[in-house]
Amino acid sequence: MASDLAFDALADPVRREILSVLAGRDECSAGELSAAISRVGRTAVSSHLRVLRTAGLITERRTGRFRMYAVDPTGPAQDVIRLLQELFQSSLDAARAAAESTPGTDRRAM
Amino acid sequence: MGGLALHAQTSIEAPPRAVFALFGSASGAGWLFDATCDRVAVGAVVTLQAPLGGERITVLGRISALRPPGPARPGRIELRLDQPWRGRLRVLFEADGAGTRVRIVADLDDSGLTWLMRRRGHPVPERAHAGEHLVGLLTSKSGPGSVFAAASENLAAMAVDEVNADGGVRGRPLRLVVGDDDTDPATGVAEARRLVRAGCRTILATTTSATFARVSADLRRAGVLLVLTLMNEGGLGGELCMQLGERPEQQLRAAVTPLMRAAGGRRWFLAGNDYVWPLAVHAMARPVLADHRASIVGEGFAALGTRDFAPLIERITASGADVVLSSFVGADLVAFERQCHAMGVRERCRTLTLALDEPTRERIGDAASEGMWGVSGYFEQLDGAANAAFLRRYRDLYGRFAPPVSSIAEAAYEAVHLYAGAARRAGEDEPRAIARELRSSRARFPRGPVTVAGPETVRQELFVAEAVPGGFAVGRSG
Repeated sequence: MASDLAFDALADPVRREILSVLAGRDECSAGELSAAISRVGRTAVSSHLRVLRTAGLITERRTGRFRMYAVDPTGPAQDVIRLLQELFQSSLDAARAAAESTPGTDRRAM
Repeated sequence: MGGLALHAQTSIEAPPRAVFALFGSASGAGWLFDATCDRVAVGAVVTLQAPLGGERITVLGRISALRPPGPARPGRIELRLDQPWRGRLRVLFEADGAGTRVRIVADLDDSGLTWLMRRRGHPVPERAHAGEHLVGLLTSKSGPGSVFAAASENLAAMAVDEVNADGGVRGRPLRLVVGDDDTDPATGVAEARRLVRAGCRTILATTTSATFARVSADLRRAGVLLVLTLMNEGGLGGELCMQLGERPEQQLRAAVTPLMRAAGGRRWFLAGNDYVWPLAVHAMARPVLADHRASIVGEGFAALGTRDFAPLIERITASGADVVLSSFVGADLVAFERQCHAMGVRERCRTLTLALDEPTRERIGDAASEGMWGVSGYFEQLDGAANAAFLRRYRDLYGRFAPPVSSIAEAAYEAVHLYAGAARRAGEDEPRAIARELRSSRARFPRGPVTVAGPETVRQELFVAEAVPGGFAVGRSG
C-alpha cells in the first residue's frame, strides 16, 4: 500500500512544497531544499524528507558529504506530477510551433 | 492555498503580444491556448480539452485576470478552474530579447490531487475521523455532466458547513465524501461502492438518471439510503430510495403555454439524448401537448457525448416546427444549442429545455442562448431576501469567479439540509429511520417553501424563465 503512505505524505503542505521544488529540478541537496523552503527550518525539512522517502515519493543518493534528493520516477505522486508537467509542457510546445509558423509580418503586426 | 504548484516554461521566437493573441483564437496552439471561449475577457467562461495520459479531459473554468503584455511589463492570463478540480492556472508572457518566455504556473489543491491519483488508478484512502457523520455526494466532475454539476459540490459543502455551525447531527459534524461518476453509469456504480466502503450510509446523487438508476439497482440490498436531488422522471422511489427535484409533467404543464405564445405556433419537435430521462420527458410531452392542442412534427435522439448534431438539426429546420423541446443535458446541450444557433434554428423556433440552468446557459453563450427557455424551481434571479443572502454566502465562500448557482446546485444544498434535519429528528443513524423522516419534510429554502411528501413527491413553485444576456428573465408559472 505504498499509495496510502504516499497520500498521507502528500497531505502535508511542507512536503507538497518540497515535492514542488523537486518537480522543477533533476536533483537537489538537503541544503538547497532548506534554502528554497522558508516556512520551516533545516531539521524539519530533514524529517519531512524522511517521510517522503519512506512513502516512496522521493529517492536519496549520497555523493561525498551531500545527500541528493529527487522525485522517485516510479512513485504514484511522480506519475501525477509528471503527467501534469507533460501536459503543460506539451501545450507550450504546441503554442511555440503555432507562433513560430505564423508568417513574420503577422508576428510583428501587433 | 497550500497545494502543489507545477511549473512549465518555454521560449518562443515571436513577440509577447503575438503569443498572447494566440489565446482563445483556435489557431492550433495546443490544448491550453486553444481554450474555447466566446471572448477573451475577465469573467468569460473557458473550456479546455486536456489530453491527460491518453484520454481527453474537459476542464471547465473562467478567466479571472487578464493583462496584455506592454512595452515594459509582462502579459498575464489567469484562469480559475472548477471542473474536474478546483485550482488556479496562470500563464505569463515575458519579453525575452525579440521573443517571449512563456511560463505556466498551475496550483492543484488536495481534492484535485486526489481526483488525479484516482483517475490514474492509484488507491487513495478516505481519511475517516471518529465521531463524524459521513454523507456521500455522487456528482459529475468529468464527462458531459460536469457542466450542469459545476456548483453542486460547492453548495453541498456550504450546506454541510451551515449544518455543522448549527451543531451537526446530534453533536457530531457532518462530513461529505465525494465521488465522480464521469457521467457514466458504470463508473457511478464503482464510485458509489467506494463511498459505501468509506462508511457512507446515505448517498446524495446529483447525476443523470442513467447513473442513479444503475446505482440504485446495484445497491438495492446494501442498506444505503439513496437520494437523487435534481430534476428527474421518478419511478424508483422506495423505502431507501428517494427522488427529489422537478418532474417533467409539472415542468411541461408550466411552460407549454408561455412557449407557444412566444413562438406564435403549436408545432413541436422533440430532440434529446437517448437515455432514461429524455425518453421519459418525451413520453410525458405527448399527453401534455395533446391537452394543449399542440402537435408533434418530429422526434430525434443522439447518444450522450455526441458533438455533431447537423443531421438532426436539418430535420428540425425541415419540419416546420415552432418550438423545439430540447432534452439534451450538460456539454451535449451546449454543443447542440450552439449548433442550432449557427444553423439558423433561432430564426424559426423557440426552444424549451427542462434542464436549462445557469452554468449551461453561459456556456451556450449570450448570443446562442437567445430564444431559449427553461423551467425549474430555482433561478439565481429569484426575488427575496433568503435568496439574496444565500447568493451572498456562496460568493463570500467561493468568490466572484465561481460557477453560477442553478436549480441543480441549489437542490444539492437543500438535500444536505433536508437530510440533516431528518437525521436529527430520527434520533438515530439507521438509514431507514432517517428515510422515514425525510419522506415527510418541510423547509423554506432560497427557492421558497419545499414540501417532501413521499419518496418521490416534492411540492414547490416552478418558474418559467427566458434566457437573456447574462442570465434569465424569470416569470411566474401559469
